[in-house]
Amino acid sequence: MSGCGAVVGGVSLDNVDISTQAVIQGIVSKDGQPASVGYVRLHDKFDEFVAEVPISKQGEFRFFTVAGDWTVVALVPGSNSRTQVQATLGNVLDVDISLS
Amino acid sequence: MSNQALVDAEWALSHLDDAKVVFIEVDEDTEAYAGNHIKNAIALNWKTDLQDPIRRDFVNKEQFEALLSAKGVSNDDIVVLYGGNNNWFAAYAFWYFKLYGHGDVRLLDGGRKKWELDGRELVSEVPSRAATKYVAKDQDRSIRAFREDVLKAIGTQNLVDVRSPDEYAGRLLAPAHLPQEAARIGGHIPTAANIPWSKAANEDGSFKSIDELKALYESAGVDLKKDTIAYCRIGERSAHSWFVLHELLGVKNVSNYDGSWTEYGSLVGVPVAVGDEPGTA
Repeated sequence: MSGCGAVVGGVSLDNVDISTQAVIQGIVSKDGQPASVGYVRLHDKFDEFVAEVPISKQGEFRFFTVAGDWTVVALVPGSNSRTQVQATLGNVLDVDISLS
Repeated sequence: MSNQALVDAEWALSHLDDAKVVFIEVDEDTEAYAGNHIKNAIALNWKTDLQDPIRRDFVNKEQFEALLSAKGVSNDDIVVLYGGNNNWFAAYAFWYFKLYGHGDVRLLDGGRKKWELDGRELVSEVPSRAATKYVAKDQDRSIRAFREDVLKAIGTQNLVDVRSPDEYAGRLLAPAHLPQEAARIGGHIPTAANIPWSKAANEDGSFKSIDELKALYESAGVDLKKDTIAYCRIGERSAHSWFVLHELLGVKNVSNYDGSWTEYGSLVGVPVAVGDEPGTA
């Protein structure tokens, strides 16, 4: 049985059938540099929390979900942001987030 | 929030060098602990340390005793648990320590996330603790539910599904930080209320106030005078909700169904509901 734990930066795309996924991924930057400490949350169209991953040392995050409207919430020490996106099945949506 | 079972960062900071207080980081992926951790904290792996390597079950009493003895934890130590994933696995370990009767176990509010977001110190040095002779009690089955308990509770007692609304409805088969190719069916146990674990937590991972937590369950129409069984996908998010009910709100007749949806959603011949409504018995 696999767990529910969030992999730092999100699960790799390797060996994942993208045709059945709506992937939302990106990089969180702080003051122009990739943030090394922080978290990214995914909220649904009702702004209900769905999932969260710690970002990688390069600021990366990735979610696997279904098509629809989502809000990407980035939290880093001292700042945060909310970004609304629309994901579609079979596609990888890149969402880069810049914080100051 | 003042509660014996919950400590804040200030309390933690004043006890980091207290030999009788053992900080334990609990994660599924120990990469976080290996990178850095709270000073003097040791680590437990939610899966490899606390789960039987073959059967889907916990390590038994003797294995738990051997684990804590090797980790240098004594029966009279204050154990303070914290971890990633908004303390999911730390809450699971808290429930687990309660299951085996540890005397004084607490949870660090907000876990690793709040500690990091607040810019508090993390270190890489791994402490060494002398081995002990830990003695566990028999499992307290009053806080652990099995599938037979769940089936009896449909339509009569409280079932609380703490997964996200999309998982509850069957639209997602797993949390969205995981690929969605799981083979098991989607849906929920009929009559279960959907009260996502996340509604009990602030964005930084700390728990909401007691008044907010009471309002959360009351507004969902959960009669806490009845027995309550919490479940999720594998039992760790529901351990977080169990902690809220049992430890913060003082509801004693609440148990955690650690088989959760991965077991129930694979059973033959049991009722299943899909969609946003609880469904009927």
